[in-house]
Amino acid sequence: MVPELGHILLIITFSIAAMQCVYWLYNLKHATSDVILFLQKGSLINFLFIFLSFVILTFSFITSDFSLLIVSNNSHTLKPLIYKISGVWGNHEGSLLLWVLILSAFTFFVSFNTAINSRLLASIIGVQTLILSLFLAFILFTSNPFERVDVLPLDGRGLNPLLQDPGLALHPPMLYIGYVGLSVSFSFAVAALITGEINKDWARQMRPWITVAWCALTIGIALGSWWAYYELGWGGWWFWDPVENASFMPWLISTALIHCVRILEKKLIFINWTILLSILAFSFSLLGTFIVRSGLLTSVHAFASDPSRGVFILIILGISIGVPLILYTIKSSSFNEDKSSFDIVSKESAILINNLFLTTATLTVLIGTLYPLFLDAINGNKVSIGPAYYNATFAPIMAPVVLLMAIAPFLSWKKNIDKNFTKKIMFLSIVTFLGGILLHLMEEKSVFALMCGSLSIWLFTGVITDLISKIREAKVKFQNINQFFFFISKINLGIHVAHIGVAIFLAGVTGEQFYKSEYNERKKVGDIISIGTKSLKFDKIENIDGPNYNSLMATFTLYENNKFVSKLRPEKRFYPNEKSQTTEAAILSSFWGDTYLVLGEGDNETGWSLRIYNNPLVSWIWGGACFMAVGGILSIIQNSSRFRNV
Amino acid sequence: MNPKYRRLFITVIIVLTLGLATKLILMALEDNIVYFYTPNDLLEKFGNTQNIKNKIRIGGLVLESSVKKERDKTVFMITDRKKEVKVVFDGSLPDLFREGQGIVAEGIFKNSNFFASEVLAKHDENYMPPEVADALKKNNVWKGESN
Repeated sequence: MVPELGHILLIITFSIAAMQCVYWLYNLKHATSDVILFLQKGSLINFLFIFLSFVILTFSFITSDFSLLIVSNNSHTLKPLIYKISGVWGNHEGSLLLWVLILSAFTFFVSFNTAINSRLLASIIGVQTLILSLFLAFILFTSNPFERVDVLPLDGRGLNPLLQDPGLALHPPMLYIGYVGLSVSFSFAVAALITGEINKDWARQMRPWITVAWCALTIGIALGSWWAYYELGWGGWWFWDPVENASFMPWLISTALIHCVRILEKKLIFINWTILLSILAFSFSLLGTFIVRSGLLTSVHAFASDPSRGVFILIILGISIGVPLILYTIKSSSFNEDKSSFDIVSKESAILINNLFLTTATLTVLIGTLYPLFLDAINGNKVSIGPAYYNATFAPIMAPVVLLMAIAPFLSWKKNIDKNFTKKIMFLSIVTFLGGILLHLMEEKSVFALMCGSLSIWLFTGVITDLISKIREAKVKFQNINQFFFFISKINLGIHVAHIGVAIFLAGVTGEQFYKSEYNERKKVGDIISIGTKSLKFDKIENIDGPNYNSLMATFTLYENNKFVSKLRPEKRFYPNEKSQTTEAAILSSFWGDTYLVLGEGDNETGWSLRIYNNPLVSWIWGGACFMAVGGILSIIQNSSRFRNV
Repeated sequence: MNPKYRRLFITVIIVLTLGLATKLILMALEDNIVYFYTPNDLLEKFGNTQNIKNKIRIGGLVLESSVKKERDKTVFMITDRKKEVKVVFDGSLPDLFREGQGIVAEGIFKNSNFFASEVLAKHDENYMPPEVADALKKNNVWKGESN
């Protein structure tokens, strides 16, 4: 009976949400405090009920209640507890429930953001609730997670072993917080279009929500890439797979949005552009969710789909993207912008160019992702577009963004007042030039390696230079924690940390892309393989039983300059329940790089095939992403009203 | 810069950037697209010309008892149950590579042999690459349920 309760809770929530929408539209012209209160209470109830329903589903997974269809299809009694829980969102229905849970949580939190004026707030909650009811309808009519099976199976079919991984347990929730978080700025934008009210405060209230979503998206994408790196056993971290692109596009757009909304906070220009970006960011999130889930694009992420879902998805996409865009074309000309001017050399210009290039870069990714589908539909040609395309389009468009990122923070609003501006640029150029020469002398690689490495040095120097000059200007003494926050707010530490993150990321990319080395060997037990200054001794190979798999595990000893470093244990695992095999690479991570060892097929007679990678600086890729996210969190703290006006 | 000139300035850079981006995209699309063929299509289209410069993908089933290991190389036939193409591959094979399994290989077609630089097979026994499934359906040899 308990699962039925979960289902009933969803039905009740759907009714309440639908009622709220009607109530909101009816009271569109007069948003009194009563209306707000009603919407707030509704959001609270929606959140609680969906949460309860989610708990019930999770409980069914933990207790292996195989009378539920999705539990029997995606779980197994022998699975470790954490993967029973992550199995909740390892399937279509459960992941949608997680989606609406996060949406209802965001709606609930934003509904108590009473600093927003009441007409706007009512519409923001209204739009959020409208999206919520659309998705609840989608769940109830096509993807009920609480559906029962006709015949009770003895045991479940298990979860795809590739997905049984701690990194991946967290990847979907983080990504979803990012995707769904962008619904808030979307609602801000639609609410502004509906009410016609937009001011600097609108931008100020909206920014932390975008930043939260952006941070979660950054971490979510980084987790996914990290998982691909250590679990797939190909040694790569980004494959320009359509599914990766689907999460990357909202990230690019929301990055543009974070920057653009800062202009609007200062003065009322680029209103239309900001609104358009907000709508686009969430549209890309929706597209991302569905591109992945629809099975339109094939990958481990795609869950089987049926046509009725496809139609429903199109309707939801049509309403949530089409209607706001129509509203936009009608209303966007009616906003009054400030008549102020700014110089070409100013922060406004820099952010404008940043936005232009980021959206253009998104366009190249979008075309690369959709072109194969387009060609298939037109003439049935099956094509795939790989990294080569993106290296030729995305990379050259992003390079100017990084160039600008280093020097834009020197600039002031409206016009340049920094007397040392040219001096600073000279300094950056000299440091980058010297760094480039050093890089070239260390190990001669392609011109692209040199460009990528130099960009990292350029950005790194730029951020540090700016940080030092901001600290000098700030002249704040701090004895307690509050003053410390005033200080970081004054020097805008969040920006520096996030930008340093990009520099670290680029250094990682340079190392991994251009300086890595790969070795393919066939070796027997007892053999020694030498790779540069390191050597690997093949100790033994044996069969070992795991909780729900059998493993063939090899043991190697890694020496560097003939000194013992560590044991490495690559595995091949066989999961009998799921009848599938996975490769577990052995990875020794260090600050300066990874040793990555994969066990291939073979036998004791002819030897085992082995793949070994030396990946310099590879962990900086994810380290850089962490810095970006921390920078985002810092910027939320430093822009909270407590610390802003000092 | 007053709003009038600002508009001009913005329009100019937008046009320039988009123009540049379009150029880049068109160039990249021309050079870097990887076409997919089944063995039958491949032989029909390029069987006589022998060589194709660009990388292509070929998909089908690994022909039963055709897999041979020659030192570091693996040689096997890939089939759509109509025609076969010989594939030569010198990398390490994916976990689920076995005879009768649907796979996709990427590489170069030269002298009627396919020299693969990459062999992709998904990590699930029941999984069939959709391109392969389509091709098999076309030849009426598809047995599984649709995915």
